[in-house]
Amino acid sequence: MNTAQLERECRSYARYLIGQDPTPYVIGHYLEFHRQQASRAASDSNAFDDFLTRVSAQRPFFARLADAYASAFRKDSAVRKKLVLTLALLECAPLSFEALDRTDGASPLGAIARLGWGALQYSLALAVSVALFAPVRAVLALSANRRATEPGKP
Amino acid sequence: MTDPLIVIGSGASGVHFALAALRKGRRVLMLDVGHTGQDAVRPGDTLNSLKRNLPDPAAYFLGPRYESLVLPGAKGEYYAFPPSKEHVFRRRPEFELRAKGFSPLLSFAAGGLAETWTGGCYPFNESELGAFPLRYAELAPYYAEVAERIGITGAEDDLAAVLPLHGGLIEPLELDEHSAVLLDSYQRRRGRLNENFGCLMGRARVAVLSRALGNREKCGYLGRCLWGCPNGAFYTPSLTLAECRTYPAFQYISGLYVDHFRMDSAGRAHSVVAHSTDGQTHEFPAGALILAAGTLCSARIFLESLYRETGKAPELRGVMDNRQILMPFVNMRMLGRSWNPDTYQYHQVAFAVRQENTGGYIHGLVTTLKTALIHPLVQTLPFDLGTGVSAFRNMHAALGMVNINSPDHRRQENYIALDTSSTPHRLEISYCPESGEPSRLKSTIRTFREILWELGCFAPSRTVHVRPMGASVHYAGTLPMTDKPAPLTCSKHCRSHDVENLYFVDGTAFPDLAAKNLTFTLMANATRVAEEAF
Repeated sequence: MNTAQLERECRSYARYLIGQDPTPYVIGHYLEFHRQQASRAASDSNAFDDFLTRVSAQRPFFARLADAYASAFRKDSAVRKKLVLTLALLECAPLSFEALDRTDGASPLGAIARLGWGALQYSLALAVSVALFAPVRAVLALSANRRATEPGKP
Repeated sequence: MTDPLIVIGSGASGVHFALAALRKGRRVLMLDVGHTGQDAVRPGDTLNSLKRNLPDPAAYFLGPRYESLVLPGAKGEYYAFPPSKEHVFRRRPEFELRAKGFSPLLSFAAGGLAETWTGGCYPFNESELGAFPLRYAELAPYYAEVAERIGITGAEDDLAAVLPLHGGLIEPLELDEHSAVLLDSYQRRRGRLNENFGCLMGRARVAVLSRALGNREKCGYLGRCLWGCPNGAFYTPSLTLAECRTYPAFQYISGLYVDHFRMDSAGRAHSVVAHSTDGQTHEFPAGALILAAGTLCSARIFLESLYRETGKAPELRGVMDNRQILMPFVNMRMLGRSWNPDTYQYHQVAFAVRQENTGGYIHGLVTTLKTALIHPLVQTLPFDLGTGVSAFRNMHAALGMVNINSPDHRRQENYIALDTSSTPHRLEISYCPESGEPSRLKSTIRTFREILWELGCFAPSRTVHVRPMGASVHYAGTLPMTDKPAPLTCSKHCRSHDVENLYFVDGTAFPDLAAKNLTFTLMANATRVAEEAF
């Protein structure tokens, strides 16, 4: 478990989800969860999931793209689980829970417009993410198949 | 001195039986596994104050091992049980179970399964008691007695047409804004809803205090209902257990797993055999034995005892449970509004909807949960999480959930048996829904979606969740009360027709299951048995 990498993930995800840096308390729990789940995470590891996780940790923009892709094609992926973990920690922790609870104070029509705008942005993010990640997924799957069929390799 | 009445289990039935017996001057010995949780933390804090003031709020809300974290891929519900209620479902290794078509939940906690209930107190009406050997008028005084003991809020409104008004009801709590909007919508479309759907709507009947009762405070609107009411305003059976323990004639022994009872040559239960956690075996002489361990545990004790006496363990036919449907919805009038977390969190509003084929009523309870954790829900939205969080901000005040209960009836193909080929003996449950159930559920879902639409709410069909049989934990029907004595049944006063001094005061004795929470009727019936049979 690479602590620096995990911290990077947590920061990227918190900024993506609520636009704020996570507190040391949230980061501490994020690390603690991974410490507790280390053996299970290792056994669940998958090259494309690892790729998505690494990309998503770079910055919130990539976290969004990775999440958009995962929301449609890899719902149970590691990146999605890490994002849900971050969300769960943020909603329990002081300061960040208030950011999550804050309403936009719109009228019903305004709220519907915002929902529509959010859906449009999501569609765009999904389209970009497919263009970026689908080829990577195909290449990784091909190379995994090739390794598996090479003689003498498990 | 005569041997005491031995009550097995401290759930809703057991404690109300015990309290009524104690008030009549009887000696009561209660044997229980009795797992307990931790005391409420910072009882004066609201939910958000807890998040600010607790040294480690994530451990409180998600659990020290993150057991209440719901990650993608987890099956089932829209929320996980909070860590503060983990003890309620902690199992005992001796209790082995195999189930087919049934997802049973068991509790060995002090107070039993109702330590996690949502407080719905709905009396069975005359029609729903049709298969019982007693009339509503015979049960009504005990509904009132229990209501006075525990405090039940309710109002005289349209629901009174199908939910009898009994004594002891107290004024309802303050409505949260969303529930008020729903009731307002109902009033505007009342005629149409009544006529087109046979839909009645009104204030939920809930075991929560709108005014102080004894040493219990009234609801402080702290928003902590899901996590365990910190001041006793919300009723759970452990409060009655505490009251029982103030009686000198009451003895409560926890840490005991009751395995079976022994019978004398006359076929009477003369003692109870139990194991403590250190492996010791204990035996207690019984004047009368009252099984109140919950339908599944009571069945296991009964079958194990019969097997030890006769070498045979019959199948107990007719096990029942309410099929439940969870229907999340969005109230369009509430979109974009701010919301107040400092409100009562469980049901404030209830539906009764007439079934076309039977004329009976299906009950739906509306929750406008504001303080439930949002991460289990946000991940189900058809977006990425960032968009989901943003959407949730606009929808939070508008979200609600209807919990719909379907009725169930005793059918021979559903049974509980004891597998004596395994060690320890294993309880086996087999349940097969009625052949017409899928179309009936479909019709119920369609009707409730249409009703919600009339009320200005949208219930997306893909989010409707039909819970597995067993999930509602309203188990009943294995040794039903009947007027005609027969093996594997019990009398009107819940006395076994097989073992003379054995009584079943939990769901075991129910011959039918109305489309509603049975807990209030369990408490009233247990009180009735104690009052009339002892």
